Amino acid sequence: MIRCKPLLGTFVEISIKQDEGQVAIDNAFLAIQKVHDLMGFHNPQSELSFINRRAHKEAVEIHAWTAQAMKIAKEIHLASDGLFDCGIGHRLVEAGLLPRHITFTNHDLGGIDDIHFLAPDLIKSRRPVCLDLGGIAKGYAVDMAVRVLLSEGISSGSVNAGGDLRVFGDISFPIQVRNPELPEELIEIGSLENGAIATSSLYFAKRDRQQSHIINPLNQNPSEMHSEILGSYSILAKECVYADALTKVLALSNNEYHPCFERFSAKALRIAA
Amino acid sequence: MIWKPSPLAILGFAIISTPIIAHAKIYISVEQAQKILFPNKTLTKNPIIITDDLQDKMRAASSIRYPFQGERIWRSADGGWLVIDEVIGKHEMVTYAVALSPSGSILGIEILEYVESYGYEVAEPEWRKQFIGKTINDPIKLNQDIQNISGATLSCKHITDGVKRVTVLYDLALRGTAKPGTSK
Repeated sequence: MIRCKPLLGTFVEISIKQDEGQVAIDNAFLAIQKVHDLMGFHNPQSELSFINRRAHKEAVEIHAWTAQAMKIAKEIHLASDGLFDCGIGHRLVEAGLLPRHITFTNHDLGGIDDIHFLAPDLIKSRRPVCLDLGGIAKGYAVDMAVRVLLSEGISSGSVNAGGDLRVFGDISFPIQVRNPELPEELIEIGSLENGAIATSSLYFAKRDRQQSHIINPLNQNPSEMHSEILGSYSILAKECVYADALTKVLALSNNEYHPCFERFSAKALRIAA
Repeated sequence: MIWKPSPLAILGFAIISTPIIAHAKIYISVEQAQKILFPNKTLTKNPIIITDDLQDKMRAASSIRYPFQGERIWRSADGGWLVIDEVIGKHEMVTYAVALSPSGSILGIEILEYVESYGYEVAEPEWRKQFIGKTINDPIKLNQDIQNISGATLSCKHITDGVKRVTVLYDLALRGTAKPGTSK
Protein backbone atom coordinates (compact mmCIF):
# COMPACT_ATOMS: atom_id res chain seq x y z
CA MET A 1 0.00 0.00 0.00
CA ILE A 2 1.39 3.36 -0.98
CA ARG A 3 -0.36 6.65 -0.33
CA CYS A 4 0.57 10.24 -1.10
CA LYS A 5 -0.61 13.60 0.23
CA PRO A 6 0.40 17.20 -0.47
CA LEU A 7 2.07 18.37 2.74
CA LEU A 8 5.07 20.51 3.73
CA GLY A 9 4.84 22.21 0.33
CA THR A 10 5.64 18.97 -1.45
CA PHE A 11 4.37 15.43 -2.04
CA VAL A 12 4.67 13.08 0.92
CA GLU A 13 4.54 9.32 0.24
CA ILE A 14 4.03 6.65 2.86
CA SER A 15 4.52 3.08 1.79
CA ILE A 16 4.07 -0.08 3.87
CA LYS A 17 4.43 -3.68 2.79
CA GLN A 18 1.15 -4.94 4.19
CA ASP A 19 -2.29 -4.13 2.74
CA GLU A 20 -3.84 -3.50 6.13
CA GLY A 21 -2.66 -0.60 8.21
CA GLN A 22 -4.77 2.27 6.93
CA VAL A 23 -5.13 3.72 10.44
CA ALA A 24 -1.37 3.61 10.98
CA ILE A 25 -0.81 5.49 7.70
CA ASP A 26 -3.52 8.02 8.63
CA ASN A 27 -1.81 8.65 11.96
CA ALA A 28 1.62 8.95 10.32
CA PHE A 29 0.20 11.58 7.93
CA LEU A 30 -1.30 13.36 10.96
CA ALA A 31 2.19 13.55 12.50
CA ILE A 32 3.46 15.17 9.29
CA GLN A 33 0.50 17.54 9.26
CA LYS A 34 1.37 18.49 12.83
CA VAL A 35 4.96 19.34 11.88
CA HIS A 36 3.53 21.31 8.94
CA ASP A 37 1.21 23.26 11.29
CA LEU A 38 3.92 23.90 13.90
CA MET A 39 6.90 24.71 11.71
CA GLY A 40 5.53 26.07 8.44
CA PHE A 41 6.82 29.45 7.34
CA HIS A 42 3.92 29.95 4.90
CA ASN A 43 1.31 29.80 7.65
CA PRO A 44 1.13 33.07 9.69
CA GLN A 45 -0.56 31.07 12.50
CA SER A 46 2.23 28.49 12.87
CA GLU A 47 4.33 28.33 15.99
CA LEU A 48 7.35 29.27 13.88
CA SER A 49 5.63 32.47 12.70
CA PHE A 50 4.81 33.27 16.32
CA ILE A 51 8.46 32.78 17.30
CA ASN A 52 9.52 35.10 14.45
CA ARG A 53 7.11 37.77 15.65
CA ARG A 54 7.58 37.49 19.42
CA ALA A 55 10.68 35.61 20.58
CA HIS A 56 12.91 38.71 20.76
CA LYS A 57 10.32 40.50 22.90
CA GLU A 58 9.28 37.80 25.34
CA ALA A 59 9.86 34.18 26.30
CA VAL A 60 7.81 31.90 24.03
CA GLU A 61 6.49 28.51 25.08
CA ILE A 62 6.87 25.99 22.28
CA HIS A 63 5.75 22.46 21.47
CA ALA A 64 8.16 19.63 22.32
CA TRP A 65 8.59 18.84 18.61
CA THR A 66 9.47 22.42 17.68
CA ALA A 67 11.89 22.45 20.61
CA GLN A 68 13.53 19.25 19.42
CA ALA A 69 13.86 20.45 15.81
CA MET A 70 15.36 23.74 17.04
CA LYS A 71 17.83 21.94 19.31
CA ILE A 72 19.01 19.81 16.40
CA ALA A 73 19.23 22.93 14.21
CA LYS A 74 21.40 24.62 16.84
CA GLU A 75 23.56 21.50 17.19
CA ILE A 76 24.20 21.32 13.42
CA HIS A 77 24.75 25.07 13.21
CA LEU A 78 27.52 24.75 15.77
CA ALA A 79 29.08 21.61 14.26
CA SER A 80 29.07 23.10 10.74
CA ASP A 81 30.72 26.37 11.83
CA GLY A 82 27.62 28.28 10.81
CA LEU A 83 27.15 26.77 7.33
CA PHE A 84 23.78 25.43 8.42
CA ASP A 85 21.64 28.30 9.73
CA CYS A 86 17.86 28.54 9.89
CA GLY A 87 18.09 32.31 10.32
CA ILE A 88 17.92 32.96 6.57
CA GLY A 89 14.14 33.30 6.23
CA HIS A 90 14.30 37.00 5.33
CA ARG A 91 16.66 36.25 2.44
CA LEU A 92 14.21 33.76 1.00
CA VAL A 93 11.44 36.34 1.50
CA GLU A 94 13.48 38.96 -0.37
CA ALA A 95 14.03 36.50 -3.22
CA GLY A 96 10.27 35.91 -3.43
CA LEU A 97 10.66 32.28 -2.36
CA LEU A 98 8.77 32.70 0.92
CA PRO A 99 5.79 34.94 1.76
CA ARG A 100 6.23 38.19 3.65
CA HIS A 101 4.18 38.06 6.85
CA ILE A 102 6.31 40.25 9.04
CA THR A 103 7.96 43.48 8.05
CA PHE A 104 11.23 43.85 9.86
CA THR A 105 12.27 47.42 10.39
CA ASN A 106 15.28 46.27 12.34
CA HIS A 107 18.02 45.12 9.98
CA ASP A 108 20.08 43.51 12.71
CA LEU A 109 18.43 40.13 12.33
CA GLY A 110 19.93 37.27 14.28
CA GLY A 111 20.32 33.56 13.53
CA ILE A 112 19.57 30.28 15.23
CA ASP A 113 22.43 30.91 17.67
CA ASP A 114 20.46 33.84 19.11
CA ILE A 115 17.76 31.44 20.28
CA HIS A 116 18.35 30.19 23.80
CA PHE A 117 16.38 27.78 25.91
CA LEU A 118 15.12 29.03 29.28
CA ALA A 119 13.46 25.67 29.92
CA PRO A 120 13.00 22.58 27.72
CA ASP A 121 9.94 24.16 26.09
CA LEU A 122 10.61 27.85 26.61
CA ILE A 123 12.78 29.96 24.31
CA LYS A 124 13.84 33.55 23.95
CA SER A 125 15.86 35.28 21.25
CA ARG A 126 18.58 37.84 21.85
CA ARG A 127 17.78 39.59 18.55
CA PRO A 128 14.80 39.63 16.16
CA VAL A 129 14.94 36.53 13.98
CA CYS A 130 13.36 35.35 10.75
CA LEU A 131 13.83 31.63 11.10
CA ASP A 132 12.89 29.23 8.33
CA LEU A 133 12.93 25.56 9.26
CA GLY A 134 12.56 24.54 5.60
CA GLY A 135 16.02 22.97 5.68
CA ILE A 136 15.23 20.57 8.51
CA ALA A 137 11.45 20.23 9.06
CA LYS A 138 10.83 17.75 6.22
CA GLY A 139 13.46 15.41 7.64
CA TYR A 140 12.06 15.85 11.14
CA ALA A 141 8.52 15.15 9.89
CA VAL A 142 9.71 11.95 8.19
CA ASP A 143 11.24 10.76 11.48
CA MET A 144 8.04 11.51 13.38
CA ALA A 145 5.97 9.61 10.79
CA VAL A 146 8.30 6.60 11.00
CA ARG A 147 8.00 6.70 14.78
CA VAL A 148 4.20 6.55 14.50
CA LEU A 149 4.30 3.66 12.00
CA LEU A 150 6.64 1.67 14.27
CA SER A 151 4.50 2.33 17.33
CA GLU A 152 1.43 1.16 15.39
CA GLY A 153 3.14 -2.17 14.78
CA ILE A 154 4.09 -1.68 11.12
CA SER A 155 7.13 -3.89 10.55
CA SER A 156 8.60 -2.26 7.45
CA GLY A 157 8.03 0.59 5.06
CA SER A 158 9.20 3.97 3.90
CA VAL A 159 8.30 7.64 4.23
CA ASN A 160 9.38 10.08 1.51
CA ALA A 161 8.73 13.82 1.93
CA GLY A 162 9.60 15.41 -1.40
CA GLY A 163 12.84 13.46 -1.75
CA ASP A 164 13.87 13.28 1.91
CA LEU A 165 13.23 9.68 2.78
CA ARG A 166 13.66 7.06 5.45
CA VAL A 167 13.20 3.31 5.27
CA PHE A 168 12.63 1.00 8.21
CA GLY A 169 12.31 -2.72 8.91
CA ASP A 170 14.46 -5.68 7.94
CA ILE A 171 14.21 -5.08 4.22
CA SER A 172 16.68 -3.21 2.10
CA PHE A 173 15.16 -0.71 -0.31
CA PRO A 174 16.74 0.25 -3.63
CA ILE A 175 17.42 4.01 -3.67
CA GLN A 176 17.42 6.22 -6.73
CA VAL A 177 18.52 9.79 -7.21
CA ARG A 178 17.77 12.02 -10.16
CA ASN A 179 20.46 12.76 -12.68
CA PRO A 180 21.09 16.47 -11.99
CA GLU A 181 21.58 17.15 -15.69
CA LEU A 182 18.47 15.23 -16.77
CA PRO A 183 16.14 14.99 -13.77
CA GLU A 184 13.73 12.66 -15.61
CA GLU A 185 16.48 10.04 -15.45
CA LEU A 186 16.94 8.09 -12.27
CA ILE A 187 20.22 6.61 -11.17
CA GLU A 188 20.13 3.67 -8.80
CA ILE A 189 22.80 4.43 -6.26
CA GLY A 190 22.46 1.50 -3.89
CA SER A 191 20.25 -0.11 -1.30
CA LEU A 192 19.41 1.11 2.16
CA GLU A 193 18.13 -0.67 5.24
CA ASN A 194 17.01 1.18 8.38
CA GLY A 195 18.31 4.54 7.35
CA ALA A 196 17.58 7.87 5.73
CA ILE A 197 18.76 9.80 2.70
CA ALA A 198 18.12 13.37 1.62
CA THR A 199 19.26 15.25 -1.47
CA SER A 200 19.75 18.92 -2.28
CA SER A 201 19.99 20.14 -5.82
CA LEU A 202 18.75 22.99 -7.95
CA TYR A 203 17.46 21.14 -11.01
CA PHE A 204 13.80 21.95 -10.30
CA ALA A 205 14.60 25.54 -9.28
CA LYS A 206 16.51 26.00 -12.56
CA ARG A 207 13.75 24.35 -14.58
CA ASP A 208 11.16 26.67 -12.99
CA ARG A 209 13.51 29.67 -13.36
CA GLN A 210 13.56 30.40 -9.65
CA GLN A 211 16.40 31.89 -7.72
CA SER A 212 18.50 29.41 -5.75
CA HIS A 213 16.94 28.49 -2.41
CA ILE A 214 20.31 27.34 -1.11
CA ILE A 215 21.55 30.30 0.88
CA ASN A 216 25.08 30.67 2.13
CA PRO A 217 24.55 32.21 5.58
CA LEU A 218 28.21 33.19 5.82
CA ASN A 219 28.11 35.26 2.66
CA GLN A 220 27.01 38.84 3.37
CA ASN A 221 27.12 40.02 -0.24
CA PRO A 222 23.53 39.96 -1.55
CA SER A 223 24.57 39.04 -5.09
CA GLU A 224 26.51 35.99 -3.93
CA MET A 225 24.51 34.56 -1.06
CA HIS A 226 22.20 32.51 -3.30
CA SER A 227 24.48 29.60 -3.91
CA GLU A 228 24.36 28.42 -7.54
CA ILE A 229 25.42 24.84 -6.93
CA LEU A 230 25.69 22.32 -9.72
CA GLY A 231 25.17 18.62 -9.30
CA SER A 232 23.29 16.74 -6.65
CA TYR A 233 24.24 16.46 -2.98
CA SER A 234 22.99 13.57 -0.88
CA ILE A 235 23.49 12.61 2.74
CA LEU A 236 22.84 9.20 4.25
CA ALA A 237 22.17 9.11 7.98
CA LYS A 238 20.36 7.03 10.53
CA GLU A 239 17.68 9.70 11.01
CA CYS A 240 16.18 11.83 8.27
CA VAL A 241 16.42 15.11 10.22
CA TYR A 242 20.23 14.89 10.05
CA ALA A 243 20.22 13.77 6.42
CA ASP A 244 18.00 16.74 5.48
CA ALA A 245 19.99 19.39 7.35
CA LEU A 246 23.42 18.08 6.38
CA THR A 247 22.72 18.23 2.63
CA LYS A 248 23.02 22.02 2.97
CA VAL A 249 26.42 21.66 4.62
CA LEU A 250 27.54 19.37 1.78
CA ALA A 251 26.15 21.60 -0.98
CA LEU A 252 27.72 24.76 0.48
CA SER A 253 31.07 23.29 1.54
CA ASN A 254 31.32 21.04 -1.54
CA ASN A 255 33.38 18.84 0.76
CA GLU A 256 32.40 15.19 1.23
CA TYR A 257 34.77 14.97 4.17
CA HIS A 258 33.45 17.90 6.20
CA PRO A 259 34.05 16.87 9.86
CA CYS A 260 30.38 17.49 10.55
CA PHE A 261 29.37 14.28 8.72
CA GLU A 262 31.44 11.94 10.84
CA ARG A 263 30.18 13.61 13.98
CA PHE A 264 26.59 12.68 13.04
CA SER A 265 27.55 9.26 11.56
CA ALA A 266 26.50 10.46 8.11
CA LYS A 267 27.86 9.67 4.65
CA ALA A 268 28.07 12.18 1.86
CA LEU A 269 27.46 11.43 -1.80
CA ARG A 270 27.94 13.88 -4.65
CA ILE A 271 26.87 13.50 -8.24
CA ALA A 272 28.62 15.90 -10.54
CA ALA A 273 26.76 17.67 -13.27
CA MET B 1 21.80 1.88 9.07
CA ILE B 2 23.02 -0.53 6.39
CA TRP B 3 24.06 1.10 3.12
CA LYS B 4 25.21 -0.91 0.11
CA PRO B 5 26.29 1.31 -2.75
CA SER B 6 25.56 -0.07 -6.17
CA PRO B 7 28.71 -1.41 -7.87
CA LEU B 8 28.17 0.88 -10.84
CA ALA B 9 27.83 3.82 -8.54
CA ILE B 10 31.24 3.11 -7.05
CA LEU B 11 32.80 3.22 -10.49
CA GLY B 12 31.17 6.53 -11.35
CA PHE B 13 27.63 7.38 -12.25
CA ALA B 14 28.17 8.43 -15.82
CA ILE B 15 28.67 4.88 -17.10
CA ILE B 16 25.14 3.71 -16.38
CA SER B 17 23.91 2.86 -19.84
CA THR B 18 20.19 2.32 -19.42
CA PRO B 19 18.82 5.06 -17.25
CA ILE B 20 15.51 4.51 -15.51
CA ILE B 21 13.01 7.12 -16.62
CA ALA B 22 10.74 8.63 -13.99
CA HIS B 23 7.33 8.32 -15.57
CA ALA B 24 4.32 7.69 -13.47
CA LYS B 25 3.11 6.60 -10.09
CA ILE B 26 -0.32 5.32 -9.32
CA TYR B 27 -0.98 5.45 -5.61
CA ILE B 28 -4.61 4.56 -5.10
CA SER B 29 -7.72 3.94 -7.18
CA VAL B 30 -10.90 6.01 -7.07
CA GLU B 31 -12.53 3.26 -4.96
CA GLN B 32 -9.63 3.29 -2.49
CA ALA B 33 -9.78 7.09 -2.26
CA GLN B 34 -13.48 6.83 -1.43
CA LYS B 35 -12.79 4.32 1.35
CA ILE B 36 -9.87 6.31 2.77
CA LEU B 37 -11.64 9.68 2.75
CA PHE B 38 -15.13 8.47 3.69
CA PRO B 39 -14.56 5.29 5.69
CA ASN B 40 -17.72 3.21 6.20
CA LYS B 41 -19.87 5.71 4.36
CA THR B 42 -21.95 5.19 1.24
CA LEU B 43 -21.20 7.54 -1.60
CA THR B 44 -23.59 8.34 -4.42
CA LYS B 45 -22.34 9.62 -7.74
CA ASN B 46 -23.45 13.21 -8.15
CA PRO B 47 -22.11 14.68 -11.40
CA ILE B 48 -22.53 18.40 -11.95
CA ILE B 49 -22.92 20.19 -15.26
CA ILE B 50 -20.37 22.96 -15.30
CA THR B 51 -21.85 25.98 -17.06
CA ASP B 52 -19.56 28.40 -18.89
CA ASP B 53 -20.27 30.99 -16.23
CA LEU B 54 -19.22 28.63 -13.42
CA GLN B 55 -16.17 27.55 -15.42
CA ASP B 56 -15.13 31.21 -15.79
CA LYS B 57 -15.53 31.88 -12.08
CA MET B 58 -13.52 28.81 -11.11
CA ARG B 59 -10.82 29.84 -13.55
CA ALA B 60 -10.66 33.38 -12.19
CA ALA B 61 -10.45 32.21 -8.58
CA SER B 62 -7.80 29.54 -8.99
CA SER B 63 -5.56 30.59 -11.92
CA ILE B 64 -6.04 27.14 -13.48
CA ARG B 65 -6.92 27.62 -17.12
CA TYR B 66 -8.05 24.25 -18.43
CA PRO B 67 -11.68 23.34 -17.74
CA PHE B 68 -12.92 21.43 -14.73
CA GLN B 69 -14.73 18.17 -15.51
CA GLY B 70 -17.87 17.75 -13.44
CA GLU B 71 -18.32 13.97 -13.76
CA ARG B 72 -16.22 12.76 -10.85
CA ILE B 73 -18.23 14.10 -7.92
CA TRP B 74 -19.81 11.95 -5.20
CA ARG B 75 -21.93 12.74 -2.19
CA SER B 76 -22.09 10.96 1.14
CA ALA B 77 -25.39 10.24 2.91
CA ASP B 78 -24.65 12.88 5.53
CA GLY B 79 -24.06 15.57 2.91
CA GLY B 80 -20.25 15.48 2.47
CA TRP B 81 -18.64 15.67 -0.96
CA LEU B 82 -15.84 13.87 -2.76
CA VAL B 83 -14.40 15.61 -5.81
CA ILE B 84 -11.74 14.16 -8.09
CA ASP B 85 -9.80 16.55 -10.28
CA GLU B 86 -6.54 16.82 -12.20
CA VAL B 87 -3.93 19.51 -12.21
CA ILE B 88 -1.71 19.78 -15.23
CA GLY B 89 1.59 21.55 -14.86
CA LYS B 90 4.28 22.06 -17.44
CA HIS B 91 5.98 18.84 -16.47
CA GLU B 92 3.42 16.84 -14.57
CA MET B 93 -0.14 15.77 -14.30
CA VAL B 94 -1.53 14.97 -10.87
CA THR B 95 -4.91 13.41 -10.12
CA TYR B 96 -6.16 14.12 -6.64
CA ALA B 97 -9.26 13.71 -4.50
CA VAL B 98 -10.66 16.27 -2.08
CA ALA B 99 -13.16 15.36 0.63
CA LEU B 100 -15.39 18.16 1.88
CA SER B 101 -17.66 18.17 4.91
CA PRO B 102 -21.32 19.19 4.46
CA SER B 103 -20.28 22.74 5.44
CA GLY B 104 -17.47 22.80 2.87
CA SER B 105 -14.41 22.39 5.10
CA ILE B 106 -11.66 20.17 3.76
CA LEU B 107 -11.66 16.76 5.42
CA GLY B 108 -8.74 15.32 3.49
CA ILE B 109 -6.76 15.28 0.26
CA GLU B 110 -5.25 12.22 -1.41
CA ILE B 111 -3.08 11.99 -4.49
CA LEU B 112 -4.29 9.24 -6.83
CA GLU B 113 -1.73 9.50 -9.64
CA TYR B 114 1.39 11.43 -10.38
CA VAL B 115 2.70 11.43 -13.94
CA GLU B 116 5.79 13.33 -14.89
CA SER B 117 7.27 14.20 -18.23
CA TYR B 118 9.87 16.61 -19.46
CA GLY B 119 8.72 16.64 -23.03
CA TYR B 120 5.83 18.36 -24.71
CA GLU B 121 3.48 15.45 -23.94
CA VAL B 122 1.82 16.77 -20.80
CA ALA B 123 0.08 19.43 -22.91
CA GLU B 124 -1.37 16.72 -25.19
CA PRO B 125 -4.73 15.36 -24.03
CA GLU B 126 -4.08 12.12 -25.95
CA TRP B 127 -0.96 11.43 -23.94
CA ARG B 128 -2.66 12.16 -20.64
CA LYS B 129 -5.60 9.93 -21.50
CA GLN B 130 -3.50 6.78 -21.34
CA PHE B 131 -3.13 7.18 -17.58
CA ILE B 132 -6.68 8.12 -16.65
CA GLY B 133 -8.53 5.40 -14.81
CA LYS B 134 -5.56 3.04 -14.75
CA THR B 135 -4.82 1.06 -11.64
CA ILE B 136 -1.67 -0.46 -10.22
CA ASN B 137 -2.55 -3.70 -11.99
CA ASP B 138 -2.66 -2.21 -15.47
CA PRO B 139 0.20 -3.19 -17.72
CA ILE B 140 1.41 0.29 -18.60
CA LYS B 141 4.98 1.18 -17.83
CA LEU B 142 4.86 2.45 -14.31
CA ASN B 143 8.10 1.34 -12.74
CA GLN B 144 6.18 0.02 -9.78
CA ASP B 145 9.32 -1.38 -8.22
CA ILE B 146 11.01 2.01 -8.35
CA GLN B 147 9.63 3.91 -5.44
CA ASN B 148 12.39 5.44 -3.40
CA ILE B 149 13.62 8.54 -5.13
CA SER B 150 15.78 10.88 -3.09
CA GLY B 151 15.77 14.21 -4.85
CA ALA B 152 15.32 17.94 -4.75
CA THR B 153 11.92 18.95 -3.42
CA LEU B 154 9.09 19.01 -5.93
CA SER B 155 6.58 21.76 -5.29
CA CYS B 156 2.92 20.86 -4.74
CA LYS B 157 1.76 24.39 -5.60
CA HIS B 158 -0.45 23.14 -8.44
CA ILE B 159 -2.35 20.99 -5.96
CA THR B 160 -2.92 24.05 -3.75
CA ASP B 161 -4.39 25.84 -6.80
CA GLY B 162 -6.47 22.79 -7.62
CA VAL B 163 -7.91 22.51 -4.12
CA LYS B 164 -8.76 26.19 -4.33
CA ARG B 165 -10.87 25.60 -7.41
CA VAL B 166 -12.65 22.72 -5.70
CA THR B 167 -13.56 24.98 -2.78
CA VAL B 168 -14.84 27.56 -5.30
CA LEU B 169 -16.90 24.79 -6.90
CA TYR B 170 -18.37 24.07 -3.47
CA ASP B 171 -19.23 27.72 -2.82
CA LEU B 172 -20.84 28.28 -6.20
CA ALA B 173 -22.46 24.99 -7.06
CA LEU B 174 -22.44 22.35 -4.32
CA ARG B 175 -23.38 24.31 -1.23
CA GLY B 176 -27.07 24.27 -0.46
CA THR B 177 -28.00 21.49 -2.87
CA ALA B 178 -30.48 19.00 -1.43
CA LYS B 179 -29.09 15.92 0.29
CA PRO B 180 -29.49 12.63 -1.55
CA GLY B 181 -32.88 11.10 -0.91
CA THR B 182 -34.53 14.33 0.12
CA SER B 183 -36.69 16.46 -2.10
CA LYS B 184 -36.62 20.20 -2.22
